[in-house]
Amino acid sequence: MTTLEKNSEVASAGVREYLTFRLDREEYGIDILKVQEIRGYEPPTRIANAPPFIKGVVNLRGTIVPIVDMRLKFNCANANYDSFTVVIILNLRQRIVGIVVDSVSDVMGLLPEQLRAAPEIDSVIDAESVLGLGSLDDRMLILLDIEKLMSGVDMGLVADA
Amino acid sequence: MAEAHHEGGGSGADFDLSQFYQIFFEEAGENLDLMEQMLLGLNLETADDEVLNGIFRCAHSVKGGAATFGFSDVAELTHQMESLLDKLRRHELQPTAAMVDVLLESADASRGLLARHQAGGVGDAPPTGDLVQRIRVLASGGMSAAPAVVKPVPAPVVVEVAVVVSPTPQVAGRRTLEITIQKLEQPSQADAIAELFRDIPGLGDIKVITAEGPDRRFEVLTTSTDDDLLDLFAFHVAREHVVIIEKVAATPTVTADAASAEAPVVSPALAALAPPKFELHSTSDDFGFFDGAPGAPGTAVVPITPSLHAPIEDPAAKSARSNAKSPAASNAAPEAATIRVAISKVDQLINLVGELVITQAMLAQNSRALDPALYQQLLTGLTDLDRNTRDLQESVMSIRMIPMSIVFSRFPRMLRDLASKLGKKVDFVTQGEATELDKGLVEKITDPLTHLVRNSCDHGIEMPEDRLRAGKAETGTITLSAAHQGGSIVIEVRDDGKGMSRERILTKARERGLDVSDQMTDAEVWQLIFAPGFSTAEVVTDVSGRGVGMDVVKRNITSLNGTVEIESTEGVGMKVSVRLPLTLAIMDGMSVGVGNEVYILPLSSVVESFQIKADVVSTVGQGAQLVKVRDEYMPVIELEKVFQVPRFGEEKTSDIMVVIEADGSRVVLLVDELLGQQQVVVKNLESNYRKVPNISGATILGDGKVALILDTGALVRRSRH
Repeated sequence: MTTLEKNSEVASAGVREYLTFRLDREEYGIDILKVQEIRGYEPPTRIANAPPFIKGVVNLRGTIVPIVDMRLKFNCANANYDSFTVVIILNLRQRIVGIVVDSVSDVMGLLPEQLRAAPEIDSVIDAESVLGLGSLDDRMLILLDIEKLMSGVDMGLVADA
Repeated sequence: MAEAHHEGGGSGADFDLSQFYQIFFEEAGENLDLMEQMLLGLNLETADDEVLNGIFRCAHSVKGGAATFGFSDVAELTHQMESLLDKLRRHELQPTAAMVDVLLESADASRGLLARHQAGGVGDAPPTGDLVQRIRVLASGGMSAAPAVVKPVPAPVVVEVAVVVSPTPQVAGRRTLEITIQKLEQPSQADAIAELFRDIPGLGDIKVITAEGPDRRFEVLTTSTDDDLLDLFAFHVAREHVVIIEKVAATPTVTADAASAEAPVVSPALAALAPPKFELHSTSDDFGFFDGAPGAPGTAVVPITPSLHAPIEDPAAKSARSNAKSPAASNAAPEAATIRVAISKVDQLINLVGELVITQAMLAQNSRALDPALYQQLLTGLTDLDRNTRDLQESVMSIRMIPMSIVFSRFPRMLRDLASKLGKKVDFVTQGEATELDKGLVEKITDPLTHLVRNSCDHGIEMPEDRLRAGKAETGTITLSAAHQGGSIVIEVRDDGKGMSRERILTKARERGLDVSDQMTDAEVWQLIFAPGFSTAEVVTDVSGRGVGMDVVKRNITSLNGTVEIESTEGVGMKVSVRLPLTLAIMDGMSVGVGNEVYILPLSSVVESFQIKADVVSTVGQGAQLVKVRDEYMPVIELEKVFQVPRFGEEKTSDIMVVIEADGSRVVLLVDELLGQQQVVVKNLESNYRKVPNISGATILGDGKVALILDTGALVRRSRH
């Protein structure tokens, strides 16, 4: 049974849909409602003195949008930019941010019982930004509270004050 | 239409008073419409105070404007209406149906009067004496005992007046003339006449009847007098060459026909009157331009359309365009001269057009490799697309931008009244009226500026005798200036009055229990006057001094992300600088290259630029670099270092020096190359990101890439520390 069929079966039973993407070998999920669009990567305009994971700003139909490379943020070994590199444009509280990921995989519906609390782990990701772990057969989905993650002070996307 | 034309022009240099007339006519029309609506919705028994006040305000605004522009008949009528309304809102009188009737008629009459003024004052003015008389009677309570029942049929007098005051304003004073320019040595000189009609908004419209041979014949629809026309033509052809023959008064049908250019559909009356030789509309058909503009009359009702028209090179197309648009626009006047559109829609339009321009640039880029012989049509199409997108972009941009003169123009009159009321002598000087500012900002900045100017006049400028005693000229000067500076717009209100007294402010602040000390810097002391309820005025006048004001000014400006700075010297004068961000202001920028990156410098802060040799830079102390430019040592800022530009192994170093000036100081920027000058739309970085040091904003270049705009103010300040 494919994921899509599963989705439609349980659509009404408190399912939440997540856009899943890959960073290196890890699989992440974010609330689909926060996603505005998905685009190919184009070299942004660099911003001086910004943290390395902020690649710069791009022009998204007249709007200046900052681009965050999640692979650099999460210390992935490789952060190549090729024709498959994807930017997910997020709309978070009226602010638009693009995140660079290795690939976008799927839209998945998860039932509440498929969610597991994330154990206390030492990670570059602030524990508060992890909603939980999604268990999907033998795959593990790291569900991110992308809004919290992006508005964190260490992301440097918003002014400190 | 005149307004749209001027805004489209993008500069305030060719500014004329008729522009303000136009705005007044629009505003007055809106006020009268609003008043009518409220009058119609008025419940006589339980008249709402809010509604009565609203009606009063409408009449008041119309009266004020009319008086300002010298339309005394409108002012007189609206003054009477205002008096009556004033009594109503004070509950001295109970509203009656008769009052509502007479007010509605007066509103109609005002419209008629205004339409007449708008048409240039030609034609008979609708009689208003009767209305004025009736309002007087009602206002004096003469009919206040009348039953408060709405009469289904108004008194006969009412009907009579209503008929008189409903003229067709479009036609008023318009004449159709046949103008022959004859015996010219160079007949092409006459073509300039047609240009005149296109260039001068509101002059009328012109149609070429004979374009060949030694004589030129035109048909002209205008409200101007023969003498005025001759004066105008005198720039191009001598009077003795011009023959003007008045034809029958134009009817709207004719102009509509002309625009749609259905040659067979000629108004029979006109066709009969026209001389046999004179083929009324069919000549215009020969050009074949009208066929391509079937929607012209309809679309031109939206006032933006004329400004969207591209400056088309082809002269024949030009005349076709002026023919197509003018009649429609004049038909639409005065009601539909502007439309109100949500700013967000305009912004969306601007963004979309921006995308279009980028796509077009990409197409142009890709088509360059094509063989012109094989792809001639495609390439021609692309060239047209190029021109059209550029014109479209320019027009769309100009929708939001209006020159500061719109704001500034409100002040001379206000100051004159204020000064005479206070017994002071004040000269008013404005600078930088052509500076363009986003309409949203203009609307919000008007009130704070008004307050600052009033303050300057009331508190700043001394009485003439005090000024003479202080050794100053009897007449004080208030200067209002606007300029783009460091990626912001700076509006300054300066006066050469008595300035502020540090001691008085400190004393007053202590009285009010504010936390102050004598060690505070001047700037900190001046900021105290922004505290709510703070006033050092000795006397509370009806102009200012109640202490409400400066805090509101500050709050308004802060809400626009702006700042207010005060400089003051006691006895010499003071200067209030309002600095506003350019959320959408268009800025002249100079693009400079550093490494592979492009930065934009506000052109207004660029003083000069030249190439240097490495050895002219000297260092001081901790390695701070200085360069000597014309006997002046200036700090050097290497953009490469400030912005940590990566060099990808190139050996190139920056050797172009750009002298910039901001906040009164000069510094030298070192860049790799100067790429050119262009107008850029300033985009806010903060809306999705955050403030970046030394960067005031961003813009989108022709190739769709983002370029950052340097904050010259910050760079200059940086060099000071």
